Amino acid sequence: MSQSDPPPHSFPKWVDDLRPLAAALLLGAPIVLVALVWYGGSPATTDVGYAPVQPVPYSHALHAGELGIDCRYCHTNVETSAHAAVPPTETCMNCHTNIRGASPKLRPVRESYASGMPVPWVRVHDLPDYVYFNHSAHVRRGVGCVECHGRIDKMEVVYQAKELSMGWCLDCHRNPDVHLRPPELATQMDWRPPEGRNKTDVGREVRKRLGLSPSEDCSTCHR
Amino acid sequence: MSPVMWRSLEDLADDPRLVETVSREFPLYADEMLAPSRRDFLRLMGASVALAGMTACRRWPTEHIVPFAHMPEGYVPGSALQFASSFDVSGAGRGVLVTSFDGRPVKIEGNPLHPASLGATDPTTQAAVLELYDPDRSVGLLERGASAEGASRRWSEFAKAMEPVLAAHRASGGTGLRVLAEPSSSPTQVALRARFAAAFPKASWVEWDPLTRDAEREGLRLAFSRPVRRHLDLGRADVVASFDCDLLFDDPQSIAHARAWAQSRRGAGGTMIRLWSVETTLSLTGGAADHRIAVKSGLVPVALGRLAERLKRAGVPLPSEVDRFGSHAFDDPRLDRMAADLLAARGRAVVAVGPAHPAAAHALAAAINAGLSSGAVRYTDVPDPDRPPHAKAVLTLAHEIEDGAVETLVLLGGNPAYDAPRELDLETKLKRVRRTIRLGLYDDETSLSCTWHLPRAHALEAWGDTRAWDGTVGIAQPLIEPLYDGKSAIELIAFLIEGRFVHGYDLVAATHGESGWRRAVHDGVVEGSGLPGVVPALDPGWPASLGALADLRTDGHELTFIRSASLLDGRFANLGWLVELPDPVTKLTWDNALLVSPEDAKALKIEANGTVVRVVANGKELSIPAYVLPGQAAGAFTASLGWGRTRAGRVGTGVGTDAYALRFAGTPWRVEAKIAITSDHVRLATTQDHQLVDALGKREARIRGEELVRTGTLSTFRHDPAFAKEMVHVPEPAPLWDPPVPYDGHKWGMAIDLTACTGCHVCTIACQAENNIPVVGKDEVLRGREMHWIRVDRYFDGTPEEPSLAFQPMACHHCENAPCEPVCPVAATVHDHEGLNVMVYNRCIGTRYCANNCPYKVRRFNYFNNHKHRTAIEAMVFNPEVTVRARGVMEKCTYCVQRISVAKIAAKNAARAIADGEIVPACAQACPTQAIVFGDLNDSGSRVRALHDDARAYGVLEEINTRPRTRYLARLKNPAGGGSQA
Repeated sequence: MSQSDPPPHSFPKWVDDLRPLAAALLLGAPIVLVALVWYGGSPATTDVGYAPVQPVPYSHALHAGELGIDCRYCHTNVETSAHAAVPPTETCMNCHTNIRGASPKLRPVRESYASGMPVPWVRVHDLPDYVYFNHSAHVRRGVGCVECHGRIDKMEVVYQAKELSMGWCLDCHRNPDVHLRPPELATQMDWRPPEGRNKTDVGREVRKRLGLSPSEDCSTCHR
Repeated sequence: MSPVMWRSLEDLADDPRLVETVSREFPLYADEMLAPSRRDFLRLMGASVALAGMTACRRWPTEHIVPFAHMPEGYVPGSALQFASSFDVSGAGRGVLVTSFDGRPVKIEGNPLHPASLGATDPTTQAAVLELYDPDRSVGLLERGASAEGASRRWSEFAKAMEPVLAAHRASGGTGLRVLAEPSSSPTQVALRARFAAAFPKASWVEWDPLTRDAEREGLRLAFSRPVRRHLDLGRADVVASFDCDLLFDDPQSIAHARAWAQSRRGAGGTMIRLWSVETTLSLTGGAADHRIAVKSGLVPVALGRLAERLKRAGVPLPSEVDRFGSHAFDDPRLDRMAADLLAARGRAVVAVGPAHPAAAHALAAAINAGLSSGAVRYTDVPDPDRPPHAKAVLTLAHEIEDGAVETLVLLGGNPAYDAPRELDLETKLKRVRRTIRLGLYDDETSLSCTWHLPRAHALEAWGDTRAWDGTVGIAQPLIEPLYDGKSAIELIAFLIEGRFVHGYDLVAATHGESGWRRAVHDGVVEGSGLPGVVPALDPGWPASLGALADLRTDGHELTFIRSASLLDGRFANLGWLVELPDPVTKLTWDNALLVSPEDAKALKIEANGTVVRVVANGKELSIPAYVLPGQAAGAFTASLGWGRTRAGRVGTGVGTDAYALRFAGTPWRVEAKIAITSDHVRLATTQDHQLVDALGKREARIRGEELVRTGTLSTFRHDPAFAKEMVHVPEPAPLWDPPVPYDGHKWGMAIDLTACTGCHVCTIACQAENNIPVVGKDEVLRGREMHWIRVDRYFDGTPEEPSLAFQPMACHHCENAPCEPVCPVAATVHDHEGLNVMVYNRCIGTRYCANNCPYKVRRFNYFNNHKHRTAIEAMVFNPEVTVRARGVMEKCTYCVQRISVAKIAAKNAARAIADGEIVPACAQACPTQAIVFGDLNDSGSRVRALHDDARAYGVLEEINTRPRTRYLARLKNPAGGGSQA
């Protein structure tokens, strides 16, 4: 075969011009892919903002915000047990036998109260089964509800406000001062440090007073 | 001579098959993927990556929160509550505390207030929750006509069908009406029986228990001419001679016995109880004994007679009839020492005879105890003095059926078609009765032959009551509504009497009355309800029965029957935890076997365990695999009952061999037999030689046997309290780089007292229940893949003919220098700041390097997704405080980290310190002898600190600088005459 003849069945000449482009694509693809997975797969993307439709259009904004009912009126066990606990239907009916007793929105609640069958609420804040989170251990140490749940008192429909990922947990366990407050104010959604003091200083005080040293051990949350 | 420890006969003989097996860390099939082609490899990798990518595409499944509509007062969702209850096993009550999460009972503990429990349990009790959620339990009523499947019925239909039947029986005064019941101690049932007898005066009530203790009852009736019950208080004994009586394990009061025994054994300062054992098959009591004499079962009463004859010569008041034993061909010189020992401890010496021996032997033992004026024995009345012996009762019933005298037969529990004397052939006879009504937990062998099967409510589903061996009444309260619409025995009896269903609560409450009722339900026991003691006098006529005893001869081979350590009489055959629980002595799982002495094995040319032998007895034949057991009396062959069920369920059907097949009414415990070897072989799954590392490791283990289970005699100990520590030199190496972690907060540790451990294996199963440990099946056990987090290593100590048993519970040691940690490529096993060696399941990628590097071999790997195919009901048994592990994950003992966490949070919420003893791991809680102690080593007042500092304390393999947090206390024996063993 002579040198001047192009070999049979070879790529046309213009393909050569595409070679830098192909190289750029090949080199760039992994970066794009990693970035995509990194961002797309992170809890900040997949979980934050998760706001499932609930069987009853219960508004925290109305109850906890406008009416100012304390979190613990319904979530009675939050200071004593692992679970904050969604209240029994009875708790709703304490008020709603008298207030808006005929509202169509409350039908599932009335039905549940009559039949004894539960209202099937959809879980919003759902940790993996191998994670053992304890509400009492946090609320009693001055971690406000708002730190993990966001401004529930402003949510018409509850959504997941924070990542609830392990890295996010550890951020606070490693640097707790900025997230602590006097434990008795844990449920106050709009709490601010007193005039002239910043959150970190108040938090540091609480940590020292209660002798807190948040653990980074695996066994703290995994059993 | 220092003892030589060995694990099995194969180990002792360096069997090449064993060497081959142990040379592989993960025996068999671990390397089946050795040579895939490059193309296969890429294909697999590609698929894995694609699938892994897809799992990221969706949020995990939606979960619902379903709160109560009307919440019970004081209820806290997701928190554990404990309720007192009690179980009845073979007519004796055991108190329990049941842990319940959200209305779901998940764990059984002992009730500290109950005299037969003392806060501990035996292995079978632990499995009650598994039984409750067993998917093979019967789910409804069945009426069986021509077809074996039967037609599904409702209780209302049953009641309607019974209406004319009961009316007819009432009119005839109960002619043709019979009840065949399993033994029950329930006071409510006793009261109902009286009402039943009044309503149906011509009916009769028969009780049958295959593991009956009637011989003892009849023997005491013989001796004292009145029915009494014997109670032992080992706390008041210095010398105990057991004649085939498994006091520490197979006894209604075994926990109390074991507790008192261990208390005396570990108090090395004062007197230490001495245990003599004359027995046929190595039992836990025989294994714990300081002296053991192996004789054929037929000679055990003769040995007792020989002892009596010696005692009489030494001046103990015994009748002249015992002299007849003097001319018996059998004798053993060791009985001289036993007699001397008993005499020296007069007043604090006691003799006990096992349930398998004739009544006369029990009478003789009673007379010896009286002669020794033993303070460790007391007697009470029996709660059911008029009951005929079980064997006689069931024979009478069989004859009545034969004669056509039985029209309606009600069977309450039990499983007589399987476990009644086989020559009666109750299975066929039941079909001849016009109407058979069976109340049972399972649709089993007996139900198949009955016209009606009624689902029975589980003990955790129904109200009831029990009476412990000492008479203490316990209340049983339900933890859950009946899952399958079952009814309890008392509810069915009440129905027979009244023709309508009465709730169990009303029946039990009516028995006990208002006063103290709430207290009794809360505590689980009725205070002061123990049987009153009596001081019976020996009947002058009793020695006449000794003649037959002195004439006992046993020449050829004899076959003896024992209960299964885990399945009892066979009722627990479908519970995987128990089927896979190694037998304490043979370490067999998923099988029973004919136990053969090494001498007989040689004579019969049984070369390997699992060789099938043919046993002929009572004119029937049985093929059963043989297992050579050191310490078995020559000429005696032993088979455990309770296996080989034909209708147990998906776990238990066809597992093991049914030894009941050879058991006849006249010879319930011992029968002359002919044994012949066959050419068949069965693989027996014994766990004893697992975790031996490899040939080198095996050799080392042999050399180090006595360093692992450090054993000494009481006199060695008194001479040199630190003998165990001095056995191995432990260098104190300087740390190479990082300074050691200070562990200045809590510092968890464990101490296990080998002197107190009887080897009952309850720790293994308590751990299984607490920590959601799967059952893997016989095939997997054969590959060494059993999952138990705490195993109990059994060592023989002595010669194959005269061994004693040493047990060593072995779980993760939480080494401060843990060899497993540096080899993990993903840091899935790391230390926390309190010294726990933590296993992080969600990080583990399953390289198994950690298990490879663990010198104690306590890590377990999930080769399969063992929990995947669980029905909703089965999944209810899981402890919600512990992660359920999936495939490809390593796991091991966590020191019950979930219990530590709960206690820590509770203490901190209450702003107080954790008290010593507040955190009790599942193994320690269940242990009858409290051999396992857990606590904070930094707490100078803690029990575990004191035990770690004890003179007997040592660490296993401490010399390789693992710095284990679990330390053992050396095993002490107390042979007569100090150190030199006879």
